[in-house]
Amino acid sequence: MARTTTTRRGLVSGLANGLMTLPAAAVYTGLTVVPVGYAVYYSFTQYNGIPSQAPTWVGWDNYVRIVTDPIGDLRPAAWVTLVIAVVGAFLVNGAALGLALLLRRTTPFNTFARAVMFYPHVLSALIVGFLWQAILGPQGAVNNLLENAGRSSWPFLSDPDWALVTLVGVIVWAQFGVQLVLYLAGLQAVSPELQEAARLDGANGPQVFRHVTWPALAPTVTVTIVTSILSLLKVYDVVLGLTNGGPGDATQTWAYEILAVSFANNKVGLACAQAVLLVVVAGILSFTIIALRRRAEEGAEAVG
Amino acid sequence: MSTTFLRRARGAVVLGMAPVLALAACGSEGGSGDAAGDGSVRMLVNITDNLTQAKWEELVKPFEDESGIDVKIEGPSGQSVAESFPALLAAGTAPDVIESIVPGPDTAPEVLDLTEYEWASGTPMADLYSTDGTINVVGVGMQAQSLMYYNADLFAEAGITEPPTTWDELDDALAALAANDVATPIAFASDWATGVQVQEIWHPQQNVSTPGWQQSVADGSSTLGDQFQPVFEHVADWIEAGYTTADDVATDSGTQEANFIAGDVGVYPMGSWFSTTLAASPPDFEVGVFAPPVDDAADVPGPMGATLAFPYMVWKGTANPDGATALVEYLTTDDAAIAAQAEMDSFSREGLEPSSNEYAGMVQELSDAAPSYVVPGNQTVGDYALPVAGFNPKFTELVQGLWQGRPPADVAADLTAWYEAEKLG
Repeated sequence: MARTTTTRRGLVSGLANGLMTLPAAAVYTGLTVVPVGYAVYYSFTQYNGIPSQAPTWVGWDNYVRIVTDPIGDLRPAAWVTLVIAVVGAFLVNGAALGLALLLRRTTPFNTFARAVMFYPHVLSALIVGFLWQAILGPQGAVNNLLENAGRSSWPFLSDPDWALVTLVGVIVWAQFGVQLVLYLAGLQAVSPELQEAARLDGANGPQVFRHVTWPALAPTVTVTIVTSILSLLKVYDVVLGLTNGGPGDATQTWAYEILAVSFANNKVGLACAQAVLLVVVAGILSFTIIALRRRAEEGAEAVG
Repeated sequence: MSTTFLRRARGAVVLGMAPVLALAACGSEGGSGDAAGDGSVRMLVNITDNLTQAKWEELVKPFEDESGIDVKIEGPSGQSVAESFPALLAAGTAPDVIESIVPGPDTAPEVLDLTEYEWASGTPMADLYSTDGTINVVGVGMQAQSLMYYNADLFAEAGITEPPTTWDELDDALAALAANDVATPIAFASDWATGVQVQEIWHPQQNVSTPGWQQSVADGSSTLGDQFQPVFEHVADWIEAGYTTADDVATDSGTQEANFIAGDVGVYPMGSWFSTTLAASPPDFEVGVFAPPVDDAADVPGPMGATLAFPYMVWKGTANPDGATALVEYLTTDDAAIAAQAEMDSFSREGLEPSSNEYAGMVQELSDAAPSYVVPGNQTVGDYALPVAGFNPKFTELVQGLWQGRPPADVAADLTAWYEAEKLG
């Protein structure tokens, strides 16, 4: 009798808890699942996005076009995106971790420095692009200084290779603030006793970092790598503000192709196919990184 | 206990649904200005340094006073009106009147057919911009596209006594400017401008060689590569000679216009709207304007690339068609409204008082001398429209390759390949 009552109470409790998730589930479904579902559907259609003109089912045609790339504009965009994601993630995390180690102790200066480091991330990415264009453009501040000093100007934005290097640099500057905060949080979780014990055992700074701090940071590193790669895969606003994809197509990213080329030309079906592929690639990359990092995280648990 | 749970659950549901309800409330207003029955008309316009929100408000005020219709001026929600209009259509919040763009293959079915309105056929270039006799966009005048603004003082210092009329003469003039240490003998700009400028300098000769070249491309008797390779070769020669550098295509048009006004540029290809900028910031040197060259002196002057000034379309789905068409009629036929628009962004129109702007006057002379007006390739409407979307952005992207050392033949081949892929949809 008592057990029955307990069971019933458990059921009611479970039902109530389930009911409480409904609002969030409804919002999530309405704002994420449904649009993604539509995007997948549209990716199999030829559609210009105008509601009064019905989509035409074309099967895999959009995906075939992406793979065959008849005008050679998607492969360069994929390459640019790959460069930004890989090099950018490496630099973002390197810079963020290095600065986090320098700023880990809470002092008035470090608190101020953390705020300064995080500030670029507060700015709109579009503004960041325009800002750096004003600094690094052919007639920007840096080239004016170089010319006033009797030096020749530097093609930060006018040479295709340099434009890509500049773009990566600006993206790193704009994005490392968030990773810095994550690393600072991760460093708080590293046991001071373990670090102290390692020092007493004769380990120097780099050895303490390699054998104690780094393994203990493993879960944080996984999160920062995944989040930075995901955000770098969909870089668009900075490109728009800094180079608008130029010169030529030197800095056109995959997201730029989706938003500024396909959508702008009312090729919603093709844009959705490109977006679906981007989501798939991002998913594969994320799960691969998580799988690869699992062993490191197990090591971290051992250290912890 | 369970009552408490249920109460909490109900509260959670209500709280959780609040944002959804709020969103629904936000999206419940209809697209058209009259959807709420307020008799207003929403007009999506281009906002620039010349075409400010305040000037637009001032332009429509007499119409509002006369008709009692409230005109709501809206700037683009995206980068441009061209980008915003399809997005607004998709969102179900399309404006009643759309300014600054012409109908494309996708948007044409969404635009009101104005052929039945008697006033529409009397507007400038209505025939040139009609499709199979159907008028779905009207404007207030003609903006000359094929213009070469030049620094007459630099020309004189370089010993150039007459503006060039043929390609050989232009090459000689640029060489003379370079020899005279002019920093930028001919300037181009980044983004959309690169493509527009290269097309502008080619309009006359292109239309001498192949009148109605868009139709030749569309019917397969010519290709985009064939059409543009000659001008690519001219530009490549200038790049090789150092008359224009890769910095040009990384410098925005506003900065490049300022460079011209500062006296650092010999020749600057740009449309008639640049005359408004010049009038606002007159340079301290003499400015001249000449038409882009042709191959053979016998063909001087060549046809003038021309676009519709202040193009207006009415959304077919408007809840206030009478108000929207009345507004467009006012803007395209009322003398005071036309004059006000000419002040905002100069254009030419038969019967319009000559502008007090001296630079616009020079442009007018060239326009009057042209044997014919021709539609540029980046226009997407009418019988001379290329059957593809996104021509100028792609043209710009490819042509910028010339500044990176790509051979003209490769750029031309890529342009043809793009067209062949795009025309298939």
